Amino acid sequence: MRRGRTVMALAGAGALALAGSLLLTAGDQGPQAARSSLGPPALGDPLTGDEIARAGEIASATLRTRMSTGRVELLYVERDDDKAAAHLRRADAYIYDYGADRLIVRTVDLGQGKVVAESADRGVRPPPSRAEEARAAELLLADPEHGRRIRAAYAAAAGRALRSASDLGLRAMIYTPRRHGAAAEACRTHRCMRLFVRLPDGSWLDTTRIAVDLSAKKILALEW
Amino acid sequence: MRFPLTLLSLVLATGLAGVPVTAATGAGPARALPASGAPAPAPARPACRAPYLVDHKLPNGARWRLCWEMRTIEGLTLTDVLYTPVGGREVGVLRSTALAQIHVPYDSGEPRFHDIGTLGEIAVALQAADCPGGERRGQYVCVTTRPRGHAYLKSRFEEPSLSAQGHDLAVYAAFQVGWYTYLVEWAFSDDGAITPRVGATGSLSGFTSASGHGWQTGRGTAHVEQSHSHNIFWRLDFDVDGKKDDVVEQYDFTGSGTAKRTLVRTRFTKEAKAVNGRTRWWRVVDTRSRNADGHRISWEINNSASAQYRGPEDEKFTRADLYVSQYRSCERLATNNPTPDCAMSVDRYVNAERLTDPVLWVNVGYHHVARDEDADPMPVHWQGFRITPRDVTAKNPR
Repeated sequence: MRRGRTVMALAGAGALALAGSLLLTAGDQGPQAARSSLGPPALGDPLTGDEIARAGEIASATLRTRMSTGRVELLYVERDDDKAAAHLRRADAYIYDYGADRLIVRTVDLGQGKVVAESADRGVRPPPSRAEEARAAELLLADPEHGRRIRAAYAAAAGRALRSASDLGLRAMIYTPRRHGAAAEACRTHRCMRLFVRLPDGSWLDTTRIAVDLSAKKILALEW
Repeated sequence: MRFPLTLLSLVLATGLAGVPVTAATGAGPARALPASGAPAPAPARPACRAPYLVDHKLPNGARWRLCWEMRTIEGLTLTDVLYTPVGGREVGVLRSTALAQIHVPYDSGEPRFHDIGTLGEIAVALQAADCPGGERRGQYVCVTTRPRGHAYLKSRFEEPSLSAQGHDLAVYAAFQVGWYTYLVEWAFSDDGAITPRVGATGSLSGFTSASGHGWQTGRGTAHVEQSHSHNIFWRLDFDVDGKKDDVVEQYDFTGSGTAKRTLVRTRFTKEAKAVNGRTRWWRVVDTRSRNADGHRISWEINNSASAQYRGPEDEKFTRADLYVSQYRSCERLATNNPTPDCAMSVDRYVNAERLTDPVLWVNVGYHHVARDEDADPMPVHWQGFRITPRDVTAKNPR
């Protein structure tokens, strides 16, 4: 499959990025962060927590304002594994622009400290981030009918009232659009997810016919 | 300190204090950036260090070296897989391999899940007992060895039989996806074979269905557990003895109801997709490297145990068992590919581009009809395929 790749010259962006505050702190990088050993990582080692934080910082440098309003969100940072750049230490920052419903992937060269490539498109469905997962659960709890049902199920399973979404065992998955009724059609361009909800007794709520549209901040009933 | 000097000077000059020194992890002296226009030096393989480097010699003397990484999206990913046969030279097999999707459609038609999300975020912490005889690398990955039964047994005339027990090096992790726990494993044998496989355990979904789409489980007839498929895709970037000169061939054997069978070789010069056949197999062959017999070295892919699920029109990615695409770094998953530069699914990666650096996508399906024995915790059901050396050594490497 041959498609073009946009290479951007963002001179100076890396240095500017260093001035900003850290978006991700080292030690909050999920299990993928390298927990190595002394000294700098080898080329093929996973990104360290510091590298993930720095890549996120550099990739977000030009997006600060829109990120502060929540219109743009850094999802996660992956080590760039392009064979053609195997001699370089690079990271891909996955950024979602909720304002335009568009995914942006910025490749950061950690050696140069700058963004060296960018690609963006609508309708791309990278998996949900932890923050999106939590937001989907909050939307579901805020829905009168679903909120009541979940709180009742939680109270029955845990013997106490639900305090917040963080009491629930959550797992969000990207929703893959099919013909699931008119409401779900929006998910062909919106950021929609399925949510699995586990209760303290180990049981799972039935959420199979629900999708959460994070772009429209709506709960969708899937029809089949 | 490994920060490029010019940028470091800029940072210092503009007084941007507070940048942790350890955050600066650019290219060091050993892998300095090439001067502009100079060809990039190829990094040494495997390009990782402990604890990400696996370097293991099995009891017969065969050695495997590889790197592992827990990626955010694909979860456990192995790179730079190198094999040294007993008494032979080290040869590269895979540049990279990882899961590319777990597609789980239920038999009533819905729901249909694409289980690869951020697998790296949902790895299950392994306890010592989950990694028997081995070593946990961090909390989530087990590297261990285990017996695989007879490597060979040959009776001899007036002598004891010639026999040996074989061993595997296994690298695996577990992931919690909804009700399911998936064990994701690659086994590297002392004869050069690789077995990628996934075991599904944890719990059944508990979805009920009309009786035509499931099996009665639990007491009496009240509950019909819905049957479903796990269609698992692996992405395999083979670089046999280096990135260059790799070609994919398909082998078929004509003759049905006849005494003779004839070998038919099809060489994929362009991106291709293929379906399984009972005797069909494929191989990735390096057209330059030869073993001591003068034969081209290759690895064979044998995928005959798939349930071969074929989905509806909007799931065309299910309609082949093997895809061969030209390498593109942004083609990562078989469905819901997460990068803007590439198509969305594996069936659309394949569009007749000329193959110079082939990537293989293997689709293995398992159809699960629940039974009472699946009551919690569900016993593991496995699915996978085999990659075996063909003419990598001139004789049985032992």
